Amino acid sequence: MATQLPDTLPPGGAPVPVSAPARRARRWTVDPEIVIPAAVLLVIIGACFVWPLVGPVPPPVGGSILNAGLPPFSPGHIFGTDPVGNDIFSRILYGGRVSIEVGLATQLIGIAVGGTVGCIAGYRGGVTDTAVMRVVDVLIAFPALVLALAIADGLGPSEVHVIWALSFFSIPAFARISRAATLRLQGQTFMLAARLSGTRGWRILLRHVAPNIMPQLVTFGLLGMGVAIILEGALSFLGLGIPDPGPSWGNMIALGQGTLSASPALVLIPSVFLFATVLSLNLLGDGLRAHWGAR
Amino acid sequence: MAAEADVAPAGPRSRGPAGRAVLTSPALRLVARRLLLAIPVLWGVTLLTFVVMNLLPGNAAQEILGASATPAEVRALEIRLHLNEPFWIRYGHWLGGVLSGNLGSSFTSGQQVTSILAQRLPVTLELLLYAFLISVCVAVPVATAAARRPGGIADRLSMVASMAGLSIAPYVLGLVLIYIFAVRLRILPALGYESLSQGIAGNIRSLTLPAISLGLPIACFYTRLLRSDLVEQMQGEDYVVTARAKGIGPWQVLTRHALRNSLFGLITVIGLNLGTLIGAAVIIEQIFSLPGIGQVLLQSINNRDVIVVEAVVLVFAVIVVLASLAADLLYAVLDPRIRYGHSAA
Repeated sequence: MATQLPDTLPPGGAPVPVSAPARRARRWTVDPEIVIPAAVLLVIIGACFVWPLVGPVPPPVGGSILNAGLPPFSPGHIFGTDPVGNDIFSRILYGGRVSIEVGLATQLIGIAVGGTVGCIAGYRGGVTDTAVMRVVDVLIAFPALVLALAIADGLGPSEVHVIWALSFFSIPAFARISRAATLRLQGQTFMLAARLSGTRGWRILLRHVAPNIMPQLVTFGLLGMGVAIILEGALSFLGLGIPDPGPSWGNMIALGQGTLSASPALVLIPSVFLFATVLSLNLLGDGLRAHWGAR
Repeated sequence: MAAEADVAPAGPRSRGPAGRAVLTSPALRLVARRLLLAIPVLWGVTLLTFVVMNLLPGNAAQEILGASATPAEVRALEIRLHLNEPFWIRYGHWLGGVLSGNLGSSFTSGQQVTSILAQRLPVTLELLLYAFLISVCVAVPVATAAARRPGGIADRLSMVASMAGLSIAPYVLGLVLIYIFAVRLRILPALGYESLSQGIAGNIRSLTLPAISLGLPIACFYTRLLRSDLVEQMQGEDYVVTARAKGIGPWQVLTRHALRNSLFGLITVIGLNLGTLIGAAVIIEQIFSLPGIGQVLLQSINNRDVIVVEAVVLVFAVIVVLASLAADLLYAVLDPRIRYGHSAA
């Protein structure tokens, strides 16, 4: 054995030791599949949340009817104005805020509630698991759209209510994923070691399970954020999304439907932003999954 | 086999070999188990619907009579519709009706729910079937072409296109298709529905744009799934090596052997995916003004017509449960390892 050992070493001497964090950091910054969509997202988020604070952006509502229906590239209105005279560029930025907030909030609620419930169910097993998963089954078999519609219809359309409604899509999905990921950890040695050394259940969940399942939850959350942003628009189509004067990408598209043949730009411009955001989220999710999976 | 037995307990669904001798046919046991599991799920769904509808402000009586009605009139109608009775009695009454095969009748129109379903459900089912056919007819050839040479030009093109297709909202796709094919080219109708009895050509034409808007994003999802599974099969599986060693060409191995195997996985996903498809169909029906079940659902939620909402939700949930069961069964029937009762770790 000892004589064979040198053969296994790479030619050119011992490899330069690279610490795991350094290797990770290098791959993060080099991998274009992660950097490019992340950069696009940062630009979109920055434009929506920061630019209206510092740049010359007119308010998204209360535009003058004198400016109504200007085509794109008009002076002072780069994307033109809508039939009421609001600046479309401004509505895109403020609408992006709403869309991104809705997407982010529903996923955070999903991770917090669904993720917790799922990993407790997976960790405890037995009756807890069966009971929790039956409820999740019901929520998944239930057409979540009905629940979302009922909530939006009953509580009245508003951003917060849309977030509540869409969380009914994300919570059961996260619960399933987090349970499956926890079950996969159950057989691992470090879990056994933690339990044998007398660590309390909640501490194991917090210190051992949570960090291990988080990558899966985060990558799923990125994909789910895209879905939530799309669904927010779907609620607008049914008249149950963000109420009219306040913009969101979804309700801009839904409102533009009426004048599609006359001015397709009203549908096209928010659609492009919606598409770019969701595409970046999907690419980033995929890139991160590949990155974490390969580690 | 020993290695498989070691791996088996890790899977959430797999059971030890001891449980296998209980029933001779694993497929039959699967059906029994799944049908039993479906009962509490369906019951939960109906209860949840009743609770949600009950929590909504207003009720059917107020919606029917409108804002100008006096409280006495509303009260009288509530009594006639039994809306004044407590929640559990109304739910029990409804549940009893369903169990004896009576879905009740609509509060607002008085029409039998079964006749509403018979009228509207075919439109939605036709749309779903059409969208499903489109998605499979796009996904299978594209994924096979892509998997032929992983990293090749066809692979990269199809992966970029499918990622784009996955990121486009169905309603945006619908509007873009309306703009191109109905507004600009004027070759397909933008709105409305022609039933099969009015002529098969018109029927298909009226459903084409909605079915594409619904089917294309799912096609992209299936393409990516099938492609990655095909690539995985072609790289590591023993049967692929065997087939190649016998002298069968790589294209033949891909289409005859690997594709057959990968389609099994796709069937399960299709079954699980149907719920999402139904949800998207509601919105697509709204955009293209198709008189399907989605429209009924929206109207009856607005009208607080609990009986109709319950029926539609129940139909949706039954479709989802049955589809997922059918997928599992089909999987069991098609996969010889499961058919003959071997462990499929």
